[in-house]
Amino acid sequence: MDLKWELKEMFDSLVSAPKYHLALEGCLVMCVLWLIFHKSYRPEASKLTEKEKEELINEWTPEPLVPDTPADHYALNPRIVTSKLGKRIVIDGTDCLNLSTHNYLGFVENDKCIESAIKGLRKYGVGSCGPRGFYGTVDIHLELESRLAQFMGVEEAVLYSYGFSAISSAIPAYSKVGDVIFVDEGVNFAIQQGLIASRSKIKFFKHNDVEDLHRLLLEQADLDRKNPKKAKVTRRFLVVEGLYINYGDICPLPQLLELKKKYKVRMFIDDTCALGVLGANGRGVVEHFGVSVNDIDMICATLENAMAAYGGFCCGTSFIVDHQRLSGLGYCFSASLPPLQAAVALTSLETIEKDNSVIETLRQNCQTMHSFLENIPSVKVFGEPISPVKHLRFSNSTNDYKHETKKLEAVVDYAQERGYALTVARYLEESEHLLPEPSIRLIVNALLSDEEMRQSAQLITQSFESVLSLY
Amino acid sequence: MCCRGGRRAMGVVLVWGMMLGGTPAQVNPNSLWLNSRGMWLSYACGVLVLHLALLSFPFLSVATVWTLTNVIHNLVMFVFLHVLKGTPWESGDQGKVRKLTHWEQIDDGIQFTSTRKFLTVVPIILFFLTSFYTKYDSFHFVVNFIALLLVLLPKLPQFHCVRLFGINKY
Repeated sequence: MDLKWELKEMFDSLVSAPKYHLALEGCLVMCVLWLIFHKSYRPEASKLTEKEKEELINEWTPEPLVPDTPADHYALNPRIVTSKLGKRIVIDGTDCLNLSTHNYLGFVENDKCIESAIKGLRKYGVGSCGPRGFYGTVDIHLELESRLAQFMGVEEAVLYSYGFSAISSAIPAYSKVGDVIFVDEGVNFAIQQGLIASRSKIKFFKHNDVEDLHRLLLEQADLDRKNPKKAKVTRRFLVVEGLYINYGDICPLPQLLELKKKYKVRMFIDDTCALGVLGANGRGVVEHFGVSVNDIDMICATLENAMAAYGGFCCGTSFIVDHQRLSGLGYCFSASLPPLQAAVALTSLETIEKDNSVIETLRQNCQTMHSFLENIPSVKVFGEPISPVKHLRFSNSTNDYKHETKKLEAVVDYAQERGYALTVARYLEESEHLLPEPSIRLIVNALLSDEEMRQSAQLITQSFESVLSLY
Repeated sequence: MCCRGGRRAMGVVLVWGMMLGGTPAQVNPNSLWLNSRGMWLSYACGVLVLHLALLSFPFLSVATVWTLTNVIHNLVMFVFLHVLKGTPWESGDQGKVRKLTHWEQIDDGIQFTSTRKFLTVVPIILFFLTSFYTKYDSFHFVVNFIALLLVLLPKLPQFHCVRLFGINKY
């Protein structure tokens, strides 16, 4: 009975509904019908007319799958090394003194490292065959991570299986589309790839020029003042290298730290060439300048240079570094470091921790070599005296990239014939942000004796002068 | 800038063909989950559950309950589809959709897809039902109509990626 009354009330009210309401409902019904029959489209799809599309198709010419490469391109004629890449290497049958690989502390032929590699091989086999998340984590990885964190004086370290991917996975893990990164112009290729992958706004400042960085930070502060809401969601980063592999010089860390604190940017340091080299105990550029490691947000490095192992790591506070265990692409989606390499890295670390005299030897060798090289009139040396990475160019070099490269290649060939292994610094010419001028990248290691360095300097003098006389 | 690069339609195809090998294009799950099997039915059931829950209050009249259902549904829809931006997870596309609301992310910005039509029609149907059950009372009409406008205007393609007065822009 009640239900029937309810329905009758409803029907009555429908009939006596206000006119505007019924009109509105009629409109809405029309809208719904229009909506149901409307075709779907993508908002920006219809930007080109048919004619423009035809034009574009007609003027397109396909690029060759393999671009033209000159027959004498260096990559087509590699020099083959048939021995250990230690103090001496056998290149194309010639036994040479190794002045070109990054074996700074000489651990490639270190007996303890070799022994731990063999022990690791017997215990763990040759590879881990899985990413860290899928059965690729071995106890030695965890041990190495905690030892690295302890060594660097930070809370946590994340281990990567490839040095290049340590920094190039770390940057895009934190910096995303709307963020700003201030980078030194002269950073290495791995950092450049990380910057591209991050899709952030990149602001390069002149190499080691703190004033230029200050100018950029002031500009950004201006923009932030004009748009505070946007500034609140913009993250700002500063990426530098400790020891620049392309230039051999050290970043001005104390001044950069001042700017970092003043303008509140997050600082990442790439200590690839500085680990095991700078600082009394080899802790990198942070120890070299004596600043507190807690001021740096994250330090990335490779184990492939001084540590003579394989892989890389990022270290810092747990809060920052732990993020990479899910967001670091090189960590999550690449197989983990072969355990025997982790064993080698552990041994290298132990060796440095027990006895840091090898680092002091390396530093003295670098300074000695630098003084020898400086005295050569035809050669200009670039890099700090204590840097093991030195760049050599002709004193009166021209701006002709190809010509200079050819001359330097001739120097390298001359030196190789006489038993000294040098190398021209190679780059992906089209992809580098700031292509350095051609140079010979000479690496000093701790195993060189004074006599060997003197003879190398003599040989370099001879090579440069003989090539100069030919060209 | 936020709406220029929509995901390629291939991305959607690649989700279903993920097993066929190769790395799939980074697909935003937010663009697809409302298309899933049973979503529309679940949505309707959800609204029904809300209505029944409100009906269980003995001191509310039928008209009030219907108006409340309509208003609460529209408010919740407005917040979840048109206020909250980005994704609650770390997407693999470097935060491309950081500034887009869920509505703008649905089907990667393609307008007038089935899901969008469904989500536009539901508030309208709810409005019809509410008007009927409140006997076309003018006060209820005003409240319900404002709620309806609140939830229909942001869905227009003209309002795609538009932020009025800079509210909710960043």
